[in-house]
Amino acid sequence: MSIAFFAAFFLIWEYSIVWFGIPRYILTPPSVVVTKGWADIDRLLYYTWITGVEVVLGYAVAVILALPLGLAIAFSSILRRTIYPFVVCVEMVPKIAFAPLFISWLGFGLLPKVIIVFLVCFFPIVLNAILAFSSLSEELSRFSVSTGANAWRTFVKVRLPAALPQCFVGFKYAAINATVGAAIAEFIGSDQGLGFYIQIVTGNMRPDLAFAGIFFLTILGLALFGLVTLAERLLIPWHISLRRQSH
Amino acid sequence: MNPLIELTGVQKVFGAGPGALHAFGPVDMKIEKGEFVSLLGPSGCGKSTLMLMIAGLLEPSGGRIEIDGRIVAGPQTDIGIMFQDNTLVPWRTVRGNIELQLELRGLSPAAHRASVDELLASVHLEDFQRRYPHELSGGMQQRAAFCQALVHQPATMLLDEPLGKLDAMTREAIRTDLQALWIQRHPTVVFVTHSIEEAIQLSTHVAIITPRPGRVERIISVDLPYPRDFEVKSSPQFIGYVRQAQEIFRGYGVL
Repeated sequence: MSIAFFAAFFLIWEYSIVWFGIPRYILTPPSVVVTKGWADIDRLLYYTWITGVEVVLGYAVAVILALPLGLAIAFSSILRRTIYPFVVCVEMVPKIAFAPLFISWLGFGLLPKVIIVFLVCFFPIVLNAILAFSSLSEELSRFSVSTGANAWRTFVKVRLPAALPQCFVGFKYAAINATVGAAIAEFIGSDQGLGFYIQIVTGNMRPDLAFAGIFFLTILGLALFGLVTLAERLLIPWHISLRRQSH
Repeated sequence: MNPLIELTGVQKVFGAGPGALHAFGPVDMKIEKGEFVSLLGPSGCGKSTLMLMIAGLLEPSGGRIEIDGRIVAGPQTDIGIMFQDNTLVPWRTVRGNIELQLELRGLSPAAHRASVDELLASVHLEDFQRRYPHELSGGMQQRAAFCQALVHQPATMLLDEPLGKLDAMTREAIRTDLQALWIQRHPTVVFVTHSIEEAIQLSTHVAIITPRPGRVERIISVDLPYPRDFEVKSSPQFIGYVRQAQEIFRGYGVL
């Protein structure tokens, strides 16, 4: 069904250009996107690699820093009263608006892009981790206490697995944000990468190549999201959202 | 001989000032070793609160609780507790959930293989030990939760309405299993329930708890032979006990 829907979408796109007489420099049919994109495949693959590195680095640093911070805020009442309100306030700030500043401070290289990807990924992970680690049910908490288990054992056997599903909500949200962050950072100031590519070819009246760039950006986003989903399937196959329909 | 569990002037008040809610007590009560004592009362009478206080999971606002001569001043770790909502975790199988109790206590599941097997068989779950909680019926989940609360072989058990959310037929079946286990192992049991029949059928003593603030109105000693099967339950003596409890609740306008 969904494959038929996709096919219909591309067919309508392909033929509406002919029917409505849309000029090629405004919109090109998908068949042309494929042939022209293929002709420029080397550059597209190289830029996919460049943008991919920015995305993966920014995302990885966000996970590595946000998870422990979320954990710390969830368990420390002092951090809850100090850092937590600050985090919530900063979350309200549109991080992407900082992109031009980072470019002007740090130049056209890899670092400002990684920082921007990091910023758009960091907050959803922190906020979901705080929620995850502070919502153990009263029953499970009392049960753990009644066994006399120490904090570490309770964490490993009860708190951590119970928190994972909510953590993954943050991981997935951040994965969607990551490619958006990288593309916008490259729009603002860059000399390589898919965002840079899309901007340059659009300026040259080549929507066919712009769509090819968007296609690879989408593949990049899907790949990251797919990896996170795969990790989710491996780590929490028991969760209600992942159960196979057995009844 | 001293009683195993002794409550002296125990009470619980939630909050402070004019908005304070006097939930429970003051109550004096003695529970001897090996007794099966039901706390029987309407919803909201504070019987669960009392159970949590005995477990050391909730601090009384006044009075003293002693277990085996020691004052309860924190969570009691040598008892078995079954909470109103079961504590089965969704990421472990039935067997894994039972072993969770052992692992949290630092005991080796491998060393307790046989006793887990025996426990599973006693509640007819041996064929379901590799299943996850969501694959089981409500009754089976409660049986599994029962094993989880019992696997470390506590001498004292606190059960908070373990059958409360089950249908009548399942309740009946699990009651029979629970009784068989008690007859076999004779732990001291504190059993919270709002079912008069259930309390009379299972208990050596039934503590009648009044509506809020909960107090122990009377303790009925149930002098009927075990096992209390359908035969016993239709006897005039059994019906007499049920009526006795009903009269008290009627006096309070609960029935």
